[in-house]
Amino acid sequence: MSGPDSLDDFLGVIRAELGLDLGVRDVDTELVNIPDWDSVYLLRLVTLLEERTGRRVSVRAVLEARSLGQIHALVSEAPPAETPAGPRI
Amino acid sequence: MTVPGNSTLGPPLGEPVEVGVRGVAWERVRADLTEYGSALIYARLADLQPEVPDGAELRGLLGRDWSRYLDLAHPDVRNRYATSRVLLKYAAGAVLRGDPDALELAYGPTGRPYLRGCDQIDISLSHTDDLLLVGLTTRGLIGVDAERIDRQMYGSGLGRHVCTPYELVTLASLTEEERNPSLVRLWTLKEAYSKAIGQGMQFRFTEFGFGPDGKPVRVQRPDGTAGTGDEWAFRTFLLDSGYCVSAAVYDAGFGHVQDTDITTMLDEDCVETIASALEEEDARADAPRGARGPDRPKDVEDPDNGAQGSSTGRADEVSPPSRTDRASRTEPH
Repeated sequence: MSGPDSLDDFLGVIRAELGLDLGVRDVDTELVNIPDWDSVYLLRLVTLLEERTGRRVSVRAVLEARSLGQIHALVSEAPPAETPAGPRI
Repeated sequence: MTVPGNSTLGPPLGEPVEVGVRGVAWERVRADLTEYGSALIYARLADLQPEVPDGAELRGLLGRDWSRYLDLAHPDVRNRYATSRVLLKYAAGAVLRGDPDALELAYGPTGRPYLRGCDQIDISLSHTDDLLLVGLTTRGLIGVDAERIDRQMYGSGLGRHVCTPYELVTLASLTEEERNPSLVRLWTLKEAYSKAIGQGMQFRFTEFGFGPDGKPVRVQRPDGTAGTGDEWAFRTFLLDSGYCVSAAVYDAGFGHVQDTDITTMLDEDCVETIASALEEEDARADAPRGARGPDRPKDVEDPDNGAQGSSTGRADEVSPPSRTDRASRTEPH
């Protein structure tokens, strides 16, 4: 499965799927400084990235990330999932 | 959505009260706290923001949060941060009948807010979109959360990270139009509970759950069996503005505090000791000069001169506060 390994693809997922107008300028911005960013967006992003990369992303690790750049780094390093994702609920 | 008061479990909870910085709604908040031991307060950001002061007055209100406020770069984020803290302080000031400026917000290791020195009240804060929500309780712990009821959650894959296996089955059994609002309700309940226990999302949402709407609500284990008892109360309300609001209240069993006034929540022994010292001081002041004892330092005789008597370990050598500033100089517990 191909996924948003590049930063541009990663930001593209955020724009297209979450509807947040974020770009390269926002990569190092602290998440608390991004208007509207919240825990629902965070979990939706984790879900999207898992689906697109086929990797299991640690929610606990993502919760500790302070910027989108850090989340991208976590996803890039994530190991492949042992079981495929279930139905979309 | 849940009908207010439908749950027979845990302490009761009134409906959320809409407030401004000033206004008669605060009387209802105080009445709710007296009657239920808890109160829910909400305000619209757009309504409240014009009432929030700026400059030195805002700095005074924010206290230690001022530096955090300055660190926030985006104006929208800063405004919401300031407005939510101001609401929280006015809410606490209203129920404690204290000066909001004098109340200090502090944060626990997981970011859970509390009022330093006022542990008779527990607080919780949530904001989403243009809604600000505050929960207050004298019963023990409280957590609150709000989301727009039409926020799209179901079908986005979130369920795998949010729901227990039992909840997934329950959601799937609902009609299509019921599924999304039901998942929003579950989300707010989970957020409220995890805030109340100070865990936030560190406590995985898939490891605890809630039953369907319309029945007494309690925390469930992943298989749907009961995980908490009557010590917890959970309520969900649907505001006319389209927000789903949930609250979790833990009754620590210390009894129902009827009077939360900051000046009556002082430690009784401490107050008694201070009052006794003041009476002794007054008696000395009224007594003839020779009856005051030969070794009394002169600076103790005049409480207004700012001097503290030389310290030899004698309680009566410490200058007590004057009558006029007694209350303001006494730290609440």
